[in-house]
Amino acid sequence: MVKPGSSLRSFWICAAILVVLLFLPPVIPRFYTYILASIFVTSLLAMSLNMVVGYGGLFQFHHAAFYGVGAYTFGLLLTKTHLPMLVAFIAGPIAAALAGLLIGWFCVRLIKLYFAMLQISLGSLLWAIAFRWYSLTGGDDGMHGIPTPSFLFSSTHAYYFILIVFSVCLLLMYLILKSPFGMTLQAIRDNPDRCEAVGVNVRRHQLIGIIIATFFAGVAGVLFVVLEHSVFPDLLFWILSLEVFIMCLLGGWFTFIGPVIGAAIMVSLRTFVGIYTQYWTLILGVLLIFLIFFLPEGIMGFISAKLGSKPVEGIERAVE
Amino acid sequence: MLRVENIYKSFGNFLAVSGAQLTVGRGELVAVIGPNGAGKTTLFNLITGQLKPDRGKVVFKEEDITRLSTHLICRKGIARSFQIANVFPRMTVFGNVQVSVLSQQRQSNSLFRPAYTMAVKETEEILESVGLIEKAHELAGSLSHGDQRILEIAIALGNEPELLILDEPTAGMSPEETRITMDLVRRLAETKGLTILFCEHDMDVVFNVAQSIMVMHHGRTIVQGAPDEVRRNEQVQEAYLGDEDA
Amino acid sequence: MELSQSISFAALGGHFFVGLSRAMILFVVTSGLSLVLGVLRVPNIAHGSLYMIGAFAAYTISRLFGGGSTAFWLALVISPFVVAAVSLVAERLLFQHLYQREHLMLLLFTFALMLILGDLVKLVWGAGEYRSIVPPQLLKGSASIFGSSIPRYNLFLIIIGPLVAVGLWLFTNRTKMGKIARAAAVDREMVGAVGINVSWVFAFAFVLGCFLAGLGGALVAPTISVSLGMDHDIIIEAFLIVTIGGLGNMWGAMVGSLIFGLTQSFGVLFWPQFAIVFPYTAVVIVLLWRPMGMLKSVW
Repeated sequence: MVKPGSSLRSFWICAAILVVLLFLPPVIPRFYTYILASIFVTSLLAMSLNMVVGYGGLFQFHHAAFYGVGAYTFGLLLTKTHLPMLVAFIAGPIAAALAGLLIGWFCVRLIKLYFAMLQISLGSLLWAIAFRWYSLTGGDDGMHGIPTPSFLFSSTHAYYFILIVFSVCLLLMYLILKSPFGMTLQAIRDNPDRCEAVGVNVRRHQLIGIIIATFFAGVAGVLFVVLEHSVFPDLLFWILSLEVFIMCLLGGWFTFIGPVIGAAIMVSLRTFVGIYTQYWTLILGVLLIFLIFFLPEGIMGFISAKLGSKPVEGIERAVE
Repeated sequence: MLRVENIYKSFGNFLAVSGAQLTVGRGELVAVIGPNGAGKTTLFNLITGQLKPDRGKVVFKEEDITRLSTHLICRKGIARSFQIANVFPRMTVFGNVQVSVLSQQRQSNSLFRPAYTMAVKETEEILESVGLIEKAHELAGSLSHGDQRILEIAIALGNEPELLILDEPTAGMSPEETRITMDLVRRLAETKGLTILFCEHDMDVVFNVAQSIMVMHHGRTIVQGAPDEVRRNEQVQEAYLGDEDA
Repeated sequence: MELSQSISFAALGGHFFVGLSRAMILFVVTSGLSLVLGVLRVPNIAHGSLYMIGAFAAYTISRLFGGGSTAFWLALVISPFVVAAVSLVAERLLFQHLYQREHLMLLLFTFALMLILGDLVKLVWGAGEYRSIVPPQLLKGSASIFGSSIPRYNLFLIIIGPLVAVGLWLFTNRTKMGKIARAAAVDREMVGAVGINVSWVFAFAFVLGCFLAGLGGALVAPTISVSLGMDHDIIIEAFLIVTIGGLGNMWGAMVGSLIFGLTQSFGVLFWPQFAIVFPYTAVVIVLLWRPMGMLKSVW
């Protein structure tokens, strides 16, 4: 699938980008450092979603729920207990993965829209709990000023920390998608019945895929807290889930790096357009309609089609 | 090797299979024939677990596999192709076969090893044997219909089956493609010692290739036997050959 | 959990009727959603926004006519048509060009519509400001039933719900258009094959579904403060209801609405802080018990 030459070249490109990113903070304004870090966090969330949507063909419609679980777990452990940072850091993704296991276990029994609906309902249940349990979660205000360790307090340090975790996660996700597991996941996306008939336990495979994806969503949640020092129920709200979905669509479903592009565009647009107008969602809606009509394979899909590296075929066969 | 005992399946009020019987001996090339709607595909789906029968038994190598799920039946050594081209369209031809080889090697859940280094030799061998090796890096969805059908057989071979079930392997093919495909099937049976069960529309093909033929009509088995025996059977002539193959 | 010992029969009855009237609003909204789901196979995410527009339109229309009883009835009748007009424009202008595309694109389109309509409402009506509609003279005050005091308006809602159900049933079973729509839900190739313009059937079902969303919005307006964010609140509830009812099944929408409305209302009685959790839990239980919903889905 991957020709060694091209993957070597991509490796050097990635390394170069990483080096540039490492040297950026001293030379750019702090605000931009913050925006970049915010892009990394959102990208990680979008990529984890794309693992199960673009590569897995699952209707994972409430991915933000797991992002929220990761963030809340991390925030609560730091605020209410004296556990070391490392424990809290690992507990966040694990809690998210457990939630993924629990919710996924029910969802993989169903297909497509039913899968989506059940996930939205179970995810919304989590949201309702975070929203209502004032004494624990701070309700709709959320929790602010979460005491992240002092070495992460400076925004530059937080930037480096987020960048490093993000890069490691990216590498892991890349390896997973290129592994037999990832390949089989894509085969299931293309044709679940055929996959069952070559001896793959489709449901179990999908469930493992969900657990992995929700784990990374949990990591993204933890990084969000590192960056923002706060959590609030909107992190688990279904609107965010759909926004992340759009990021994947915008960047391109079937490309590894697509969601990063999508997330970068969305975060920057929101930041810079948001300065001039309070009608950000209107712009987002128009953008989405534009995408649906003109760029259904996303930016990366469009580029690779133009380069002729692979024929474009409607995504219907993959996700339908 | 495979025994289907008095199996029934209905969809609502429609009895798709009502008392079908089938025996496949090791190393045999067995064909199932019957008019459209006789229940051939349903029978195959019952054997490989896509459908569960209402009554009756499927026995493979003296083991009851009736209630096993599809992927477990596959692991017992039964692989199949489907009537409509059923490949992984967004993956390469190589990847299509590799998925099933990896599944056969129990590597599907391996997380961190790069897939492109794994099962390469086995996959290439299979592609070589079916003649698709030159197209290994094309996307499966972009292949011609005939090539997709052959790729289907290749995917099934990836499971190193003892019993290979082919559901109308030549459906929609030109006479030339049909000949090539049936030669392939026969060659596979000989060189790999495969047992093959297939159903087919083309009577010439069936009577040329098959060693044993089972005739279905309205979901029932009329007879199973050697080609000559079947040809002579009066019931068969009445139900089937009489009006189609006169 | 604080379980008060003195939950009286009257309080139970009161919550029952409140839950029932809530269920009827939900039914009016979800029956429309269910219709669109059944015929177009698309969960219309913008349905909640259309409901919100229905409520805002009702508010403006009733203000326009002086806010009296007549104004209320006019608002109730006119605002669903306003919503239907909005949806017709969206459908003919954009949505109809996507029918040949895969589901996911249709779904994302309705999400885009939701984003746009939400901000348009903000543009037209502005954010702040407390908005409410006074129910007409006839429906003001309370009536006493079995010892519990029930607002008359809620009783009105309890009557409206079944009327809408009967109307929809008559439409789908007794009119040509309804029968075609129903047939299209079951087998759309068939309908296309007999020479009916499927695109118009879809448009009609979509607009009718949105009309019901608008009606729901107009009906709910006197019971709440009409505000931004109404769309977010209702749409997930509506989705869950049609899912537990059976996708595209109108009676399923009724059953789902009853479950949702009543569990919500009794939840408030038993455990106010977590009342919101009760209906969600009910949904989870129903889906575990019957993954494809209570009643037969048309899918």
